[in-house]
Amino acid sequence: MKTLRAFTAVLSLGLLLLASGCSVVQQGADVLKGTGTISAEQANTIQKTSETIRSTFGEISEEEEYYIGRSVAALILSRYPVLQNAALTQYISTMGSAIALFSDRPETFAGYHFLVLDTDEVNALAAPGGMIFLTKGLIKRCKDEDTLALILAHEIGHVTAKHGLQSIKKSRLVDAFKLLGTAAIKTYAPDTVAKLTGIFEDTLGDIVGSLVERGYDRKFEYEADGMAVKFAGRAHYDTGGLTRFLKTMVGDSSAASGKGWFKTHPSPQDRISEATPAITALGAVKIADARTARFKQAVAGLK
Amino acid sequence: MKIPKRTFVLFGALLIVLLAMAADTVVVVKIQTTSIRQNPQFFAPALVTLKAGDKLTKISESNGWIQVKTQTGLVGWIHSSAVEVTKLNLLASNGPMKTQAKASEVALAGKGFNKQVEDSYKSKHAELNFALVDRMLQVKVASNLIEAFLRQGRLGDFGGGR
Repeated sequence: MKTLRAFTAVLSLGLLLLASGCSVVQQGADVLKGTGTISAEQANTIQKTSETIRSTFGEISEEEEYYIGRSVAALILSRYPVLQNAALTQYISTMGSAIALFSDRPETFAGYHFLVLDTDEVNALAAPGGMIFLTKGLIKRCKDEDTLALILAHEIGHVTAKHGLQSIKKSRLVDAFKLLGTAAIKTYAPDTVAKLTGIFEDTLGDIVGSLVERGYDRKFEYEADGMAVKFAGRAHYDTGGLTRFLKTMVGDSSAASGKGWFKTHPSPQDRISEATPAITALGAVKIADARTARFKQAVAGLK
Repeated sequence: MKIPKRTFVLFGALLIVLLAMAADTVVVVKIQTTSIRQNPQFFAPALVTLKAGDKLTKISESNGWIQVKTQTGLVGWIHSSAVEVTKLNLLASNGPMKTQAKASEVALAGKGFNKQVEDSYKSKHAELNFALVDRMLQVKVASNLIEAFLRQGRLGDFGGGR
């Protein structure tokens, strides 16, 4: 009889869970407790289980991603100076914002924002949430707008797929989520803030380490290339721009430095092989004269 | 004839399931600010500006856009990446638009890695220039400029190359 009762309780709650979230479960548990089908202790257990603490990167909220992204951006900006070139920054920002609208994630908590870093190092970096940085060294290696567009689309791809958040160690998230629990508070006690800040700092270390030092997993780079072709293709850019850039990078003099882009990305040849089928499938696009003209104007004077 | 207690409970549970299935779908804005547009396009006229936590009722969906109704009855379109889809909680007693949420954006608003944590991190890292981050975030390209950029470059809806 006891087994039957437990079975009924579990089945009922399973149905409730299917249809709804935890507040209904809580009320469901209360109902069952009231009928005497389950004990108060059992009701509590069920309630706790239904509030399963977050455990994966996918459960980081948009707002938390924004705060992580802000600090990642601050760390990037502590390594490189910003290029003081308003016209070029405006050009990159407008192009990046336009491409983002064709992505699978056109809206993020605080939107997409772009800056050019004043360094000859070849690199492009995306902080979680959509703060994107291109280096002067990279822009100088682009011969046309469509090539630049594919690079911006690649970075937007990293943001869309949350590759930055995916590089956070799982144990880190488990610690943070355990600490946060499901308490309905917005202001934390000093000791909780201290612990959370420690985890936050380690989280930033995981992301910046991947972005700047170790590079993402190769599959993330191929995935971002795939999305770059998809998003830029939707915007009617010539997706062959990706191949043109990668070909430029084969045997580039900066490769010897082993810094930046070369350190953190798969070989250009491998990326070309991976991306070519999708680029070929889309077919070539004639680059409008206006694009060529505005690109030349924007990069004129880059030293 | 006495109805067994477990049958009674099961029946109740099934009733709740059916009610939940019949409920309206509510979408909640999960980003700082966005707009409801007249048509499912970013360059369509904005009808109203919304902020994080604002709740809307879903009417239909098309190509990544959700047709919604505001609490004041305004109907328009919002991009799916700006909202979290949830179900209306019929059992909630305080107000018709109360939504239930587990580890959802709504339930997590202001929690976890929040401003308090950033401030604490900042205080330990005076070398980091958050003012520069704030400036970067303040620069937002207006949608009419994006549209003009696409038009000039024969891109997007103005593209005819492929």
